[in-house]
Amino acid sequence: MGTDEDPGPLVRMYAVTGGRARPIGESFDVVAVVTTLGMPQVSVGLSPEHMTVLRLCARPTTVADIGVYLRLPLNITRVLLSDLRREGLVSIDRPAASAGSMNERIYQEVLNGLRTL
Amino acid sequence: MDYARSETLAIKILVAGGFGVGKTTLVSSVSEIQPLHTEELLSDRGTGVDDTSLVEGKATTTVALDFGRITLREGLWIYLFGTPGQDRFWFMWDELSIGALGAVVIADTRRLGEAFPAVDYFEQRDIPFVVAVNCFDGARRHNPAVVRKALALPPHVPVLLSDARERESVKEVLVTLMQHARTHVPAVTAS
Repeated sequence: MGTDEDPGPLVRMYAVTGGRARPIGESFDVVAVVTTLGMPQVSVGLSPEHMTVLRLCARPTTVADIGVYLRLPLNITRVLLSDLRREGLVSIDRPAASAGSMNERIYQEVLNGLRTL
Repeated sequence: MDYARSETLAIKILVAGGFGVGKTTLVSSVSEIQPLHTEELLSDRGTGVDDTSLVEGKATTTVALDFGRITLREGLWIYLFGTPGQDRFWFMWDELSIGALGAVVIADTRRLGEAFPAVDYFEQRDIPFVVAVNCFDGARRHNPAVVRKALALPPHVPVLLSDARERESVKEVLVTLMQHARTHVPAVTAS
């Protein structure tokens, strides 16, 4: 890009996903936890946003937080994450926290945590 | 020791209720961050189910999504999502509600009817919820039993008086929701 001006979110969206609006593969939740598994040997095909995600998710980070950090809409964020998943660079854990699927120990931890907040 | 191998988990809680009832206030009271703002891009067609690429559409709209976060420890978070108040974004709830541990329905006694859609929604989806009667004008004027009756809530659904501005009060709401979710027995669904 020839100028320092921010081209704006919509243009960035086109640039970042190549016009794709749907993630590849299995869908994932807005609070799915993303963890970087490794950095690419060569960064060919990866955008600066992809690289930002990889650095950010060295610490497990949720999809929602990644979207905010990138300042991109969630569906665009999901496209980027699905690219990285396809390349084996991140894991995306589905949240297992619907009622009934969460174990007793986690409930206890959450309750204790809330009370001492 | 299995305790050492702590799980990474993000718990999703929805905060629902009529427009201006105090959803953002409630989230702000307990969130460690100023409520964050993100967006979903939607095609004008609306639901975006299995359609062509959004960017090919003539127009896209965005739906704002605000959320707060509570970090209980490294790798264990509670996320509070304010559900979109407008009816035309109802379908956003479907995506948000999948995998939600539970919900807080905020009710304003001056316009209790506005809590009905949320109550109905979570009942139908079998998502455990509590009703928090927002008492920003003082708790004495409100009676949980009256609210329970007006909203036709079953006995097991907790109804609390709370003040969305007060951190301690909101914490109590969340603790009550967690306890309620813990005892929640999923409905048997024919699948």
